[in-house]
Amino acid sequence: MSTGGGEKGSGGGGSVKTPADFLKSIRGRPVVVKLNSGVDYRGILACLDGYMNIAMEQTEEYVNGQLKNKYGDAFIRGNNVLYISTSKRTLAEGA
Amino acid sequence: MGCARIRYCSWALPFLFYSSLPRSVKWRKKQGLVEGGHSMASEEESTVKEPLDLIRLSLDERIYVKLRSDRELRGKLHISIRVWESYGGYHVVNHGGNVFPRGLLSNLLWLKWAYDQHLNMILGDVEEIITTVEIDDETYEEIVRTTKRTVPFLFVRGDGVILVSPPLRTA
Repeated sequence: MSTGGGEKGSGGGGSVKTPADFLKSIRGRPVVVKLNSGVDYRGILACLDGYMNIAMEQTEEYVNGQLKNKYGDAFIRGNNVLYISTSKRTLAEGA
Repeated sequence: MGCARIRYCSWALPFLFYSSLPRSVKWRKKQGLVEGGHSMASEEESTVKEPLDLIRLSLDERIYVKLRSDRELRGKLHISIRVWESYGGYHVVNHGGNVFPRGLLSNLLWLKWAYDQHLNMILGDVEEIITTVEIDDETYEEIVRTTKRTVPFLFVRGDGVILVSPPLRTA
């Protein structure tokens, strides 16, 4: 019954059984969110819901690998999200 | 559970509610967002529980919206509520159809919002920035153009929205 394993990050979490569990487990962690348009957002995940709407803090926007914008807080509409991945990014700027 | 009356509030009325709150309460609640990081640590009512809560705390502020087709908006988020009376209290319904139990009038501020679950929203005093990239056929250089226009009152359909953010604050 478990669906795609693609969403399960190997960020060092415990036993992650379903995508829903993964979504619950990654709150507060630095994540990488890639959109359908190819734009990348890196930041700390504040929360998300079942539609994959995402609220993030300390968000940085990367287009073609280049940092384009920084947002203190960002809300991303879920239909644009391609994936959410945890990252081991080190916070360059103090949180 | 009969509803005695349904009153449709105009755009102006919520601002009257807003202005009647003690300034310290408003400022305290805004602090929960301004300080960023773990607004959950501050008072319960300003807890960000769902992503839409983040926008709720942005009300009456200018926000930045990124849209599809390389468009950006900066405008003031408007709020609208429907209030009806029942048993001497108020039920508050936003235009997305969510109903909340009656509570203190001061809670109205944090219960009303201008968007619904689709992220349709209404913005005022909007500046729209359209970015186009043209490639010169001969030199193959990219020419980035931005076009700006101002719109006093704008309804944004939610499916075009990519990202919403409060404007960066200068510390």
